[in-house]
Amino acid sequence: MSAQPLPSNDNDVPITTIAPREEKPTSAKKLPPPEKPSDVRRRSHVILSFWLIVLLLGLPIWWKTTTIYRADLPLEDMLEWADGKACRPVFPLRISIQATSLQDQEAQNLLRLTQHALDDLNDFAGHHLRLQLGDEKQDPADNGSALTIRLTPGEGTTATLDPYEPILDITYPLNTTPSPTASSSALATYIASQLRTTFAEEQATISYLLSTNSMPSEHRPLGLSPETAESLAKRTTRSLKYAPTYHLTFSLFTSGPLPSSWDIETAIEEYMKPVLDVLSPIHNFTIDTQVQLYASPGVQNQVLNKEDLSSFINAAEWPLSPSIGGAPTINFIVFVGNQTIASPSPDVAPTSHSWLIPQWGTVYLLSLPGDTSHVAAATLKQPLLTFTSHLLSLTGTPESGSLPLRLSTLARIRSADLLLRASSTLGSLARLAMALPSISIPSSVADGVTKTMSHLRLACDNLGGTEGLAHARIAEAEAERAFFEKSMVGQLYFPDEHKIAVYLPLLGPVAVPLVMGLINEIKAWRKRRREKAEKGAEKKEQ
Amino acid sequence: MDGGKVTVGRTAALYAGAAVLRLAIFTLLPDLPDLLTGRVEISTPVTSFKRLQEGLFLYNHNVSPYDGGVYHQAPLFLPLFSLLPNALSYPIFTYLLYIAIDLLSAGALWRIADSGEAGSSALFTSPRRERRWNGFVIAAIFLFNPFTIATCLGRSTSVFTTCAILHAIAKAVSGAPFSAMVALSFASYLSMYPLLLLPPLVLLCFDRQRPERANKSAVSFATTHVPVVLGVLGLLFGMSYLITGSWEFLSSTYGVQLTLSDLTPNVGLWWYFFIEMFDSFRSFFLAVFWLHLSCYVGGLSVRIRRQPLVVLTLLLGIFAIFKPYPSISDTSLFLAMVPLYRHVFPLMRYSFVIAAVIMYASFLGPAFYYLWIYAGSGNANFFYAITLVWGLGQSLLVCDLMFAVLRDEWELERPEMAGKEIRQI
Repeated sequence: MSAQPLPSNDNDVPITTIAPREEKPTSAKKLPPPEKPSDVRRRSHVILSFWLIVLLLGLPIWWKTTTIYRADLPLEDMLEWADGKACRPVFPLRISIQATSLQDQEAQNLLRLTQHALDDLNDFAGHHLRLQLGDEKQDPADNGSALTIRLTPGEGTTATLDPYEPILDITYPLNTTPSPTASSSALATYIASQLRTTFAEEQATISYLLSTNSMPSEHRPLGLSPETAESLAKRTTRSLKYAPTYHLTFSLFTSGPLPSSWDIETAIEEYMKPVLDVLSPIHNFTIDTQVQLYASPGVQNQVLNKEDLSSFINAAEWPLSPSIGGAPTINFIVFVGNQTIASPSPDVAPTSHSWLIPQWGTVYLLSLPGDTSHVAAATLKQPLLTFTSHLLSLTGTPESGSLPLRLSTLARIRSADLLLRASSTLGSLARLAMALPSISIPSSVADGVTKTMSHLRLACDNLGGTEGLAHARIAEAEAERAFFEKSMVGQLYFPDEHKIAVYLPLLGPVAVPLVMGLINEIKAWRKRRREKAEKGAEKKEQ
Repeated sequence: MDGGKVTVGRTAALYAGAAVLRLAIFTLLPDLPDLLTGRVEISTPVTSFKRLQEGLFLYNHNVSPYDGGVYHQAPLFLPLFSLLPNALSYPIFTYLLYIAIDLLSAGALWRIADSGEAGSSALFTSPRRERRWNGFVIAAIFLFNPFTIATCLGRSTSVFTTCAILHAIAKAVSGAPFSAMVALSFASYLSMYPLLLLPPLVLLCFDRQRPERANKSAVSFATTHVPVVLGVLGLLFGMSYLITGSWEFLSSTYGVQLTLSDLTPNVGLWWYFFIEMFDSFRSFFLAVFWLHLSCYVGGLSVRIRRQPLVVLTLLLGIFAIFKPYPSISDTSLFLAMVPLYRHVFPLMRYSFVIAAVIMYASFLGPAFYYLWIYAGSGNANFFYAITLVWGLGQSLLVCDLMFAVLRDEWELERPEMAGKEIRQI
């Protein structure tokens, strides 16, 4: 027994659904009887019931679910940041003078004169050196000044940078102290020129950074000579992009079976850790090490020429991980073999053992006696010291000056760099939001922008200090996150034509009977009204 | 076919036969129930017995059954099934429960058939009403329908919804509107979509009121009975809240049906569409699909106002095609109601095509699913294509039944047109 018996089973029912052919002409001519008013009303109700759902439920839902959420972005402010109008990068550097041997009066006078001389020399308003009289009891590192000048009377006029503290020792002959009435002093001029030399590199770097960014011209420093600009550009390309964390990979590659172990941990602890510690306010470092035997370099020549150096790394076979994940990797490779680097001129014996690969790391060629199976920490001293100095240039540390000065300069350069990058990201985001009116902007992006701007403001107010760097770092991270918001990236390209392809396949077929039904119903209604009016007119005439 | 007098013995024999058949399959083929439980045609995320077991385990270990996102069924199943012995060690009790539910459904169907509502309602009496099957045959068709048996063996919890819907209709035709409303509330509580049956069911109750206490106004009748549904639903929700201790069950049961967050393939049309959907349009098209499902209620209730039972039958067919998680259990409910219209079968035009398409899809569906999931020689389009055919077969049946019913009504007005070819103008 099937649920739906076929019609053929029901022969006893005198019904066929096919009309006899000969009846067709007559039935075609015959007009159907007029519809009953109740049927007409019922049909209107059916059509109305569908349209009520479409209008009362469908349209509001369509409106609510397809409205693109666009969080309000402070576009004006963002563009102001990008154009550098919101923040004028100023690095006020305080320099204290400790002159224990001078009278207060004399010291004040000297300070005034030196400041005058400095202001005369300075052509870049953003980088401003301000002198103050230091308190001799205070520790020079703690008083917030970038540099302390220690004036001591001595034989001649000399200036030396303290290698461990940010201190410039200046000796002067006793007779050069300026008289209270003098309008210029040789000592003051000397100090000023010393200071200027000390900070020349930082000043050049910052003005280079500003000039490569879209800073308005009135803030842009002038007088950057093409040679300086070129060398700065070289250095900038050499150093890695700023990241809060760098991953250091130390690799020992040997051309033969030996050596197979090394005392890298001790060596790092001893020779590199101090510098890493000093860098720690600016960067974090993670470290791993590896040893690879029978490693063949990309170039087999005994003597490596300048051209060979770039292809020495055997990228195909050496397990050097690229920067996967958050932190970029810096590679330090010790290669044990018998290859040497050709010296630039043939009459000088080859002396160099290492070279730096821009934005990547360093290779150090270490030649050892053939039977060494273990590389001692002492043997690694020279390679690691080389690596350390290369690390500094890979992180973009300036080259001149004492280490403490170089590091504080690095912090200032990096904060300026981050500030500019975050600002330009904000600008790109604002331009993107304006260029694509149909892109959705989730509230997380607006949050990120707000955070970026508040941290940028804080960074801008504290430029030159460690706080400024921290804020600039957060601002840059937030700006990047806001710009690369996942739900926005997917919609970057979604033109309006696509919407037709989305709506039409389903809603088109649904809409045809709905719309046709409505149109027919309206037509029939107007016809009925006209007929009624005609009937009414006829009645009136009668 | 039109069996003569139905005796108590024949009734008992029918029920016993159906029960013995199911028990025999359960005991002789002990692996078959678990196999069927895993079939996507039978178990959907909102009715699966396996997922019920998971929820039950969590519930019995005092963890919220909705933790883990596997269980999407009504919370009141949990105390019911935890009363039974463990389904793994003593499966016979679960089998007996499901068999009893099937027999209860058949009993309700029998009462509906015997009421004669299908042939002559309060406002319309079909000239062909004499050609009908009695309750025995209709119950037998339901009980021995392979889809019903497979659903019972697969222990899908949709049988409870089926039972509740059939009882709601049975109560409505026997003039007990209050019980009908309570039964519909249970069905809605279990599966949500039966709530859409409320308008035609209220009309059916209104038409079949007992004359001695009839309410003359349909509006006042509706305003007295719709609150019953809301009240019972509120009560059930309150009990669920007491059982689970939070309102989490609302989003985990009805929320899943509304948002289709579980995209496990099934025989319906939603899953493939929403796998392919752009995320930004997902919520819009969810609303469109739900509106599509619910927009038939008003139109059909108005158009076939004179035969509310037809509206209920057609809506059950439409739900079996277009609801978010359909299974063959919904089809078996629809196919159980269709034989009530034996008298209009001669007016149907595509019976053969419908039977062929439905059988074609039921045989090829599992094969295509196998090709896609296990053999790997097909892809998702294979299975989706066959579910389209399945939907086509059912929608043909819905359309053809509607055509036959309307023609039946029309021929009463225009007796001279009986048996002639007609054409829409």
